[in-house]
Amino acid sequence: MAEAAIALEQEEHSTVEKQQEIPPDWKPNIIAFACHYCAFAAADLAGVMRLSYPTNVKVIRLPCTGKLDHIYVLRAFEKGLDGVFVAG
Amino acid sequence: MIVGKQKPLEEIWEMIKGHQKVLVFGCNTCVAVCHEGGNKEAEILASLLRMKAKQENIDIEIRDGGIERQCEHEFFDSATDQVEWADAVLSIACGAGIQFTSEKWPEKITLPGLNTTFIGVVEQPGLFTERCAMCGDCILHLTGGLCPVARCSKSLLNGPCGGSAGGMCEISKDVECIWDQIVRKKMEQGHLDDLLKMKPAKDWTTSRNGGPRKQVREDLHE
Repeated sequence: MAEAAIALEQEEHSTVEKQQEIPPDWKPNIIAFACHYCAFAAADLAGVMRLSYPTNVKVIRLPCTGKLDHIYVLRAFEKGLDGVFVAG
Repeated sequence: MIVGKQKPLEEIWEMIKGHQKVLVFGCNTCVAVCHEGGNKEAEILASLLRMKAKQENIDIEIRDGGIERQCEHEFFDSATDQVEWADAVLSIACGAGIQFTSEKWPEKITLPGLNTTFIGVVEQPGLFTERCAMCGDCILHLTGGLCPVARCSKSLLNGPCGGSAGGMCEISKDVECIWDQIVRKKMEQGHLDDLLKMKPAKDWTTSRNGGPRKQVREDLHE
């Protein structure tokens, strides 16, 4: 009985992604959805001012964050991105 | 419109996990209005299921598709390629749409991804409430435009019953007593005496009690 319970527990755990050691140089891959009228304008201004931001963040301009659809976020995760940043 | 609710992801997963190629098939009319079964929801559900398959390490190809209505022949033509590709079709239409899809492609496994809940209205954004029980013999002219068949917990035709208190039904403090509203509306309109008129017993054979229903328009039907 106990063995069966342990086997069941292991089976349940097998569906959960195992926690892995994070390499020291690892950086999360992040996508940023930015509103054309505010956040993207700010990012643009940062560029004009020669300010830099991390290369692991990729910015996508939206006409408005109201344009952000559920599927945009899901597709990002499906493609393996670690985080989605929405600014507007 | 017909209101529906997507089945829990786990229940859907159990249905599809034994198949190789699954098409999540939306219906873009009634069930799209309640944001549960439209083509957009099909896209979202397919994405969630693909991630679930990856987590479970099970090899299934999942695509999404859809048409405007799964309850009319004409609309299926554009979906032929999508459906032919799949070995199982997870339809998120209402019960009628799912069955019609199944009839269209009898060789495919058709699975229900949605529970059909009721015929209702969009009372507020995101709030859908029942209005019609499809009894087949409308009595709204007698009850001030408020349906006791669909909206009274007991479908009483001579309410309110003793369970009505403060305008609410005894089954829950969140459920309004429709007979309370009917009486008040009739009083406001000065037609309260309508409720005192003798009415014959309702003929329920036009409802589900008469078996599956059929309607023919002879000028349109060959």
